[in-house]
Amino acid sequence: MTPLDLLVAAGQQVIDGVFLGLFYAIVASGLALIFGVMDIINFAHGDLIMISAYFTWLLSMTLNLDPLFSMLLTLPILFLIGLGIQKGLINPVLGKEPLIQIAVTVGLGFVLQNIALGYFKAEPKGYPAPLFSGGFSLGPFVIYESKLVSAVVSLVVLILLSRFLAKTKLGLAMRAVTDDRASAMLMGINVGRVYLLTFAIGMVLIGVAAGLWMEMGQVTPYLGTSFSLVSWVAVALAGLGSIQGLIISAIIIGVAQSLGSLISPSIQMAVVYLIFFFILWFKPRGLFARR
Amino acid sequence: MFNREILIALAIFEALVLGLGFALSGNNYLMLLAAQVLLFAVFVAAWNIIGGLTGQLDLASSAYMALGGITTSLLWMKLNVPPLLGVFAGGAVAMGLAVLIGLPTFRFGVKEVWYALMTASLVVILNNLFRYTMGPWDFYLPSKWGLIYLRPRTYFELFLIIDVVLVIVILVNVYISNSKIGYYLRSIREDELASESIGIDTRSYKLRALAIYSFITGAAGFLQIVIYSSFSYRLFDTSQAISIAIMGIIGGLGSISGSIASAVIFRTLGEYLRSSLGGVFPGLDLLLYGIMLIIVGVLKPEGLAGLFNQIRRWLGK
Repeated sequence: MTPLDLLVAAGQQVIDGVFLGLFYAIVASGLALIFGVMDIINFAHGDLIMISAYFTWLLSMTLNLDPLFSMLLTLPILFLIGLGIQKGLINPVLGKEPLIQIAVTVGLGFVLQNIALGYFKAEPKGYPAPLFSGGFSLGPFVIYESKLVSAVVSLVVLILLSRFLAKTKLGLAMRAVTDDRASAMLMGINVGRVYLLTFAIGMVLIGVAAGLWMEMGQVTPYLGTSFSLVSWVAVALAGLGSIQGLIISAIIIGVAQSLGSLISPSIQMAVVYLIFFFILWFKPRGLFARR
Repeated sequence: MFNREILIALAIFEALVLGLGFALSGNNYLMLLAAQVLLFAVFVAAWNIIGGLTGQLDLASSAYMALGGITTSLLWMKLNVPPLLGVFAGGAVAMGLAVLIGLPTFRFGVKEVWYALMTASLVVILNNLFRYTMGPWDFYLPSKWGLIYLRPRTYFELFLIIDVVLVIVILVNVYISNSKIGYYLRSIREDELASESIGIDTRSYKLRALAIYSFITGAAGFLQIVIYSSFSYRLFDTSQAISIAIMGIIGGLGSISGSIASAVIFRTLGEYLRSSLGGVFPGLDLLLYGIMLIIVGVLKPEGLAGLFNQIRRWLGK
């Protein structure tokens, strides 16, 4: 390989990494929102994405509809499921020790993973003919349509989310609860209701991530673990309280993973988690924390 | 340190284990399952030191297990070091890595969820690195048998070896739990800040707990490879590491009897489900672990140990 080839290969990985990073931003957004507002440690986050991806796939296959559209159908249902999970599982452990929260959500993740394994079996499932499956070349680089589309959609959804948090009454209430729960309560914010809606909105973001994933790839019961870890790495890198920070952090992770795969595809995740170690050691509040 | 009540309980437990061993010794398949269940209890009992007593939710058990086991195996295959000695090297390597990572981790105050995530990602990092260096293949142990290789000819003898290890780990647990370090560790679990303010060197004690746990797990790792009779990068398995922590939590944090009971009961039940319904519903055993964990977390955070205490109180009335 000449140096120029190497440069082109690296450039291609950076482009793919940015797209991947924008996708990771939407993957992590639900976790960041729920962790930020409710201070609940959700280890089942990735598994919720995994099960939603199966849900999207099932709808796509039965209705013969592209995942990008069947995703839209899943969102209201996931919103309701989110209300249910919050009422049944999360509320009882709110404010309990971290270990109990981790235990319950790890349990939920295990349950979802193995329901998926039992029902859908271990073979990967994918939608055979997604709307965006081709690619085009841009100079020496190749742009894959599905990755581009998922990056654009997640960016749009995240901008909408940040508008929502900045402009609407509910969004302001959510931010107030993030900053100081006790004062928010004293100012007349119904914290219980904010929690309920936060989790439900988090589920909607999970549904978007799941739908975008089905446009790009295939789902297996074990998909959740890596999504959970990547989301937590993004939250650790970003710190809480800033969506822009989350996007930039997710892009850093995506590019790091992409460049890591240049060394060998089997160590790409190791690169991401090494970054995670150093962040926890040297910058435990993250790069962009508001507090 | 080892009062009569504990010794009697241990004797009863051993009588049960050995009785079961003799009863099953005719059936190779069941004997191997029993050995696997007992080894699982060893890992859970070792985890109890860092997770149960110290309250650090460590999710890297399978990493230390695999690292120690692979070290022992490679020493045997490449340098002809008999595993009876090699397991100590395996334990030492696992401990070395744990301390190397533990030092900065505790120094910079990484705890709770971040500690759990860090250890979980350690499993993935090692999984990736070993896949990169070893490739996707299974490596089989040499065809040599004997006590010096910790690889007996019958599963019954293997069961006995694992039982000896289990007794050692239980005694280590009891010793730690009843000595000064045990009180320090429990106070760290209950309130780290308060422990520090009364002069406990929390960093150093957490590191000690981590070192003991990782040494035992690494040394016992070879026995897991003996059960499989092969090893690959797949030993670095996040869901195995999580299962071990789950058993420690279901058993009741810090309770050695509770965590061993939950390891034995649920792993046996899990193996039974896997062998009877595994074809129709794979993962049913893990599904059961998950449901138990949710029930314990929501309804009974003190776990099986709490249940035992309740029964004891009820019997005493």
